[in-house]
Amino acid sequence: MDGRSKRRWYRIFKPDPRTEVEDELAFHLEQRVQDYIARGLDPDAARAAAEQRMGSVERVRSECTDLLTSERRRERRRDGLQLSWLDFKLGFRMLSRYPGLTIVGGIAMAFAIWVGAGTFEVINQLVFPKLPLPDGDRVVAIQNWDVSLGRHEDRMVHDYLSWKGQLQAVTDLGAFRTIERNLAVEQRSPEPIGLAEISASAFPLTRVNPLLGRTLTVADEQPGAPAVVVIGYDVWQRRFDADPAVVGRIVRLGNAPATVVGVMPKGFAFPVSHDAWVPLRLNRNEAAREGPGILVFGRLAPGASLADAQAELRTVGQRASTSSPTTHQHLRPQVKAFAKAIMPNIFGSWVLSFNLFVVMLVVLVCGNVALLMFARASSRESEIVVRNALGASRGRIVTQLFAEALVLGAVAAVVGLAAHRAGLRWALLTADSQIRGGLPFWFQGSLSLPTLLYSAGLTLLGATIAGVIPALKVTRGLQSRLRESAAGGGGMRFGGIWTAIIVAQIAVTLAFPATAFFVRREMAEFETRITEAGFPAERWLTAQLRLDREGPNGQPISDADFDAQLQKSWQALERRLEADPAVAGVTYANRLPLMYHPYRLIELDSGEAAPLDPRWPGYRVSSAAIEPAFFDKLGTPLLEGRNFTHADIESGQSVIIVNKKFVDLVLGGRNAIGRRLRFTHFEEWGSPRSSDDQPWYEIIGVAPDLGTEAFTHDPKVARIHHPATPNSAYPFQIAVQVKGDPKSYAQSFRQIAASVDPSLRLHEITPLNEVSNGDVALLRFWFRLVLAVSGVALLLSLAAIYAVMAFTVSRRTREIGIRSALGGSRRRILASVFARPIAQIGGGILAGVVLVGLLGSAIAGGMLSVRETAALVGYALLMSAVCALACFVPARRALSIQPTEAFRTDG
Amino acid sequence: MFAKESGLLQGTVELLVLKTLSWGPMHGYGIASWIESATDDVLRVEEGSLYPALYRMVKKGWIEGEWGLSDNNRRAKYYQLTREGRRQLAEQSKGWARLAAAVTQAVSTTQAPAWAR
Repeated sequence: MDGRSKRRWYRIFKPDPRTEVEDELAFHLEQRVQDYIARGLDPDAARAAAEQRMGSVERVRSECTDLLTSERRRERRRDGLQLSWLDFKLGFRMLSRYPGLTIVGGIAMAFAIWVGAGTFEVINQLVFPKLPLPDGDRVVAIQNWDVSLGRHEDRMVHDYLSWKGQLQAVTDLGAFRTIERNLAVEQRSPEPIGLAEISASAFPLTRVNPLLGRTLTVADEQPGAPAVVVIGYDVWQRRFDADPAVVGRIVRLGNAPATVVGVMPKGFAFPVSHDAWVPLRLNRNEAAREGPGILVFGRLAPGASLADAQAELRTVGQRASTSSPTTHQHLRPQVKAFAKAIMPNIFGSWVLSFNLFVVMLVVLVCGNVALLMFARASSRESEIVVRNALGASRGRIVTQLFAEALVLGAVAAVVGLAAHRAGLRWALLTADSQIRGGLPFWFQGSLSLPTLLYSAGLTLLGATIAGVIPALKVTRGLQSRLRESAAGGGGMRFGGIWTAIIVAQIAVTLAFPATAFFVRREMAEFETRITEAGFPAERWLTAQLRLDREGPNGQPISDADFDAQLQKSWQALERRLEADPAVAGVTYANRLPLMYHPYRLIELDSGEAAPLDPRWPGYRVSSAAIEPAFFDKLGTPLLEGRNFTHADIESGQSVIIVNKKFVDLVLGGRNAIGRRLRFTHFEEWGSPRSSDDQPWYEIIGVAPDLGTEAFTHDPKVARIHHPATPNSAYPFQIAVQVKGDPKSYAQSFRQIAASVDPSLRLHEITPLNEVSNGDVALLRFWFRLVLAVSGVALLLSLAAIYAVMAFTVSRRTREIGIRSALGGSRRRILASVFARPIAQIGGGILAGVVLVGLLGSAIAGGMLSVRETAALVGYALLMSAVCALACFVPARRALSIQPTEAFRTDG
Repeated sequence: MFAKESGLLQGTVELLVLKTLSWGPMHGYGIASWIESATDDVLRVEEGSLYPALYRMVKKGWIEGEWGLSDNNRRAKYYQLTREGRRQLAEQSKGWARLAAAVTQAVSTTQAPAWAR
């Protein structure tokens, strides 16, 4: 240490005031003695004279001590708990001096902050969505709330048109509705896209300029105006290969042609996640509460607040309620921030529970880091005692240790936040693919300021736990320890609470990999379920089939016309597909095997049946509506009874086909044919209803078991099948058995459908064996997260256990040295050293086994397999080995040192 | 010699300490010795008033103390002026000169007051 830093050191760690005053007065007296000797007095006389001249120093001493003490107090108040640059420099030095702790603690804290920041960012975007548009927070949505029905009334064309002339607080008023259309570009097979039928005012409202061409104009909205479309960046890239001359090209949207007039820049998807925009043409004379459902939006006028707009709307609403009570009596117009109106309500309790989880994770992780820091602080005990003796207050020492933890936490936070971006991007992409139509455009993969602040808060919390708690423990009773160590006694010890912590730590550490095993097994189970379709699912290509509900002029089609159109188009499509030499078969159902099926509760006729599952007030079955020849087409003929016929449908016969599991689970293996059942509860009902008015269905056949959806806790579920026409099953799943690779058939599939009827849309074309891929990906993510948590937990726990064990043993260096010097046998000494840690590990492993057992019974899957048990035993052995090593290394060192040295050591 | 209770004289000790330290850092004994020699032993500074004065001045921020080594290699606390201490020295010296001149003028005048005439 150079002179300068020594001086700084002194400033931080000043000695005790009384000692300082005494030293100063002693020096004064000594100088006087020397002075008198120099003047010729003999030493004894000089001392006597000097003492006489000093007189009573007690008064001076106490006065000066008081003054110095109060000065010190003032200084401490001024900079006592203030972090100085020196603290941080020391903190950084500690990082490189203890690389093990830095790496283990750093990784753990970085992980905690990564999870914390990611969770916070997602929640923040969900609860406080912000439109990434200029002044996006001033874009609002207006909705009509029906107080008598307790829901929004979205048929508000009439009100929208009347508001347009009235509202002062909201400008750029516009409306939109979402439709789906096949976008057909020459040379390409048509694919459905999400379109916004939207007012021209949307574009000036968003203040976003087109990349190419123009946006929609009011003229486009006039009846008879040429059909135009503005396309989004992604559509331009994917469907038009970024053609720079795209403006002016004519495309087909469903049944009707339209001219591309503009391209919007990347990222623009206003109002929600739309791919293209067409003019919204409204009937100027629409009656109140009639016409299509729309959402109204606008921008708060300069100077107007949300409250102003709400007040104005309330007045407007009251006027309408008075003038047209029949339609408007119960309607209350509401204005909200735009994104809030689109997003489902997220409740505060949600946010709280997520935050709680994150804080718990951080506390847990940092608690472990605290253990490491404590062990490290303990190894620096003499340094701390000396500093204290030199006058450093307890507060100063705690501050110093806090600064060290803060430095570690800050480094970890930087790492955690760097990883956060990648994690968030991935989460958003996954969510985007899981949500139909995609994630709203305001979800962004970037870090927001609140998240940064939140992470800073987490870092502070972590540093407080990891730094201050061990520091308080280490500095407790420093004064008495100074005397003890001066007298050659004890030092710090880990008490009973630490034993409890170590035992709990070992137990939890053992339970974590077991959890990973359980999750992995569940995942493996899901994956086998996908392969257990009961027929070659990988040869079938599926898609959801939908038909436009509007005619080429945009006017809605009547239900009767729609049904006729659907029947006609479907028959044509089926014929065309069956005629294709690449196709081996075509069928349809509202749900295909391997997809999710809704559940029903049924009751049976008075015949014999299997005992009821006590969890449900009836037999729980899943149900599907299928084409009459469904099972034959899949190549899975009935085991008993007969197939549906078209006559069954036409005559309105209440007949059903059950699966093998139904026979086993509901009928206990008895004959099924001719038995009757009726529904007591539909999943869609929400609450139970009376089953008395429900019809009875007769079982006419038994089918083999086909696969269920991957994501279910009930894979062995009984299933019933109804016969269905395409119209009664609409919107239905179409399944095409392909002779070659199903994926490569997707293009032809689309082309055939479009050539039959351009308004026929095929959504989510997927090979049947891949329909659960999204769920599996989600599960895989969950598995990886558990694995990562386990990994971090293991690393941290092993390090903490090692540190604590090594520390406790090294505390006994002196004892071991003395016993060895007194001729104690090495074996007995070692046995006594190991006794306590072995008891702790044993207790921990026992508790861990109990925990694993509890987990196993809580999570479906029960006990561990032989291989998994072996892995856990291996892991427990590894943990024991780490502990043994932690005890052995310091014990060996203690045994080999000289007894005289043993007396001199700290411990 | 100085009574601690006397406000005027306490100020005098402080001024003398400030003056002493204007020559450079010094420990308590050195300060007392210098004052004695500088005043030809007329002023004898008692420990009972010197040390409390030093600690008070530290508290007021006029001087600061730091442990160092004395000429004979013993640990000693050296005091030195702060910026504020320097300012105080200048101010108090002027004040003292005015006071001393006033007292001198009064004491050495030969003109009797009116009531004595």
